Amino acid sequence: MKKFVVALAVLALVAGASFGQNVIKIGAHWPLSDPGSAESAKAAQMAVDEINKAGGVAGKQLQLIVVDDEAKGDKGVAAIEKLVTVDKVDVLFGGFTSGVEAAIVPTLKKYGIVTVATGAATSGLVENPLGPSPDSDFYFHLHPWDYQQSQSEVDGFAALAKKYPAVKTQKLFIAYEEGAFGAPSFKGWKALLEPQGFTVDGASFKSALQGGSDYSGALQAAKDFKPDMFWWIGYAPDALPLLEQAKAMKFSPPIYLGAPPSWPADMAASPLAENTMLFGMWSPAMNKISPVSKKFYDAYSTAFKVAPVSYFSALSYSGIYILAEAIKKAGGVDKAKLIAALEQTKYVSPLGQTITFTASKVIKHQGIQNQKILQWQKGAQEIIWPFEAQSAPLTYPLPAWK
Amino acid sequence: MLVTRRSILWTVLGLAVAIAILMWKPTILVYGIERAGLYAAVAIPMALVLGIVHIVNLSHGEFMMVAAYATYFSARALKIDPYLALLPVSLVMALFGYVVYRLTIRQALKAPELNQLILTFGIAIALSQTVNLLFTGQSWKMSLSYVSASMSIGAYDFGVYDFVFVAAAILLAVGLRLFLTRTKMGKAALAVGQNAKGAAIVGIDVDRTYAFVFALAVGLVGALGAMFLTKQAIFPGVGGPYTMKSFCLVAMAGVGNITGVLWGSLALGLAEASMNGVRELRDWSSIVFFVLIIATILVRSVKEKKA
Repeated sequence: MKKFVVALAVLALVAGASFGQNVIKIGAHWPLSDPGSAESAKAAQMAVDEINKAGGVAGKQLQLIVVDDEAKGDKGVAAIEKLVTVDKVDVLFGGFTSGVEAAIVPTLKKYGIVTVATGAATSGLVENPLGPSPDSDFYFHLHPWDYQQSQSEVDGFAALAKKYPAVKTQKLFIAYEEGAFGAPSFKGWKALLEPQGFTVDGASFKSALQGGSDYSGALQAAKDFKPDMFWWIGYAPDALPLLEQAKAMKFSPPIYLGAPPSWPADMAASPLAENTMLFGMWSPAMNKISPVSKKFYDAYSTAFKVAPVSYFSALSYSGIYILAEAIKKAGGVDKAKLIAALEQTKYVSPLGQTITFTASKVIKHQGIQNQKILQWQKGAQEIIWPFEAQSAPLTYPLPAWK
Repeated sequence: MLVTRRSILWTVLGLAVAIAILMWKPTILVYGIERAGLYAAVAIPMALVLGIVHIVNLSHGEFMMVAAYATYFSARALKIDPYLALLPVSLVMALFGYVVYRLTIRQALKAPELNQLILTFGIAIALSQTVNLLFTGQSWKMSLSYVSASMSIGAYDFGVYDFVFVAAAILLAVGLRLFLTRTKMGKAALAVGQNAKGAAIVGIDVDRTYAFVFALAVGLVGALGAMFLTKQAIFPGVGGPYTMKSFCLVAMAGVGNITGVLWGSLALGLAEASMNGVRELRDWSSIVFFVLIIATILVRSVKEKKA
């Protein structure tokens, strides 16, 4: 009996070891209570399942190990430590908030494991600490940096103004939440836009996320400014109360645009959302023009019985495929070979664009460099710009509130 | 006579400030009063618990959050206005409060204050994390056309819906005063709040009174949760800042001083709205809340020392 148990244990160890050798481990982290991140984790797992079903990569199956970073820096660091030292992952993946990414940069640099990042836009917090090549060559950043987003959005509005001569964009008012997200964003926008001839003004508000409930000060300042465009930078809980107060104050600027990281569940159902605008990288409207997007959307909807709404889902799904193709090309996870293979990426993504890695201001491996301009129309996020991805024509101006 | 003179002085001063603000920017007065209404309405049930049960309930805002979620999902399922769900939700919350009292608070009544704080803080975390697990961190907001109701004074257009919170605060303050002074249970609660041992000697069931007051406070904050939902988006962490604000207001007003909570809220609401109305000071409006509270507590401490 004793011999049988020992033999069984040896067999289990051997089987475990050989199973481990047949698996490429991808260690990911997101704040899973965030709806966009939860979608990211699901979409990444879906991509892993699809790839494994098709035979895996380099003769091995992929395994996704997800740790919740709770949007907290210390938890993010603990997640990376656990993934690297306990789970012994081959590559790192994911991420959402810039704060967590900033906190984990030293740990990522310490281990130097190839990383494909899906979030974190604040360049000052993440890109600068990563530093230039070759120190940061292990890091492949999919999401555009803040300055890239901003410039592409400016380009987008310039293109819209050119195509639709009635559209005016010169006078911009930005209402921004007073915390670490809104205030630096406003400063960044102001620094970017004023040298380009825009007249920019702004006012802060306390986000509902921090216990705020009154946007009247910022809205009154915006109304007095009479802007061509009104943008707000805040969080999902601010979206509808802001619109409701804007209506109460009879403030209906020609362009009303929101730039939160995610939207409240009921945004599409609100009649107030109609014709307001937003920035993003993907929406289900992309299905009209991209078969890759439709394939992703249908597969996700079937797998999880709910449709994806956040662009982070399409981004994470793309990231896993990019990683898988590179592993295939590299014949495994050897660091130098994998980096070289990732550098050759040309992935036709559900986001309506082919993803490649080129240099940004600091790092060598930057993926997507632009955002899209979208508009809420009949409960859907229609793509207005770039025109090659346009899913509906622009409605302009925002009609006065009834 | 002195009290009357002081009252007249304060009333005149208050009126002068109100008129000055009205002349300068009428919307500041409107938004200040609206803010004050919300702050006071949420803080009054906490003052009740602190005044009678002598517990600082750090899960106060989380009870409001749970009620808001209950209202949201029941109103959505039944396709009814949240106000129609207010009473049933309030009653369910009162029952929930009673159960929480029996299972947890009651066990810590004789424990050191720090233990009580840790207990209610733990309840707050348990409530918000449970909601997070059940409904994720997604925010939810009902679209209700009446919350955009507006009025105009001269060139100023402003929302008036938030006056429902002013009405709620006044109703709560008056209702609780009547309850505490005119009903048998209220008088018993007042007696227990003043001297629990004495109350027990004269035959008042202290434990039952505590349970009733705690359940009543949770029921009231539950009703406010239903109202809160009409105006604000809800998410698991939405209650936390209101616990903090309520606690500060109660500390500013003095233990169990409901009228003080009303005045404190008005002062804070007006101060915040005034700061918010001035471009250069807008970023400081969050700080004024705490500056006023610190100043009030300091002044009171000095006065008490002198006395």
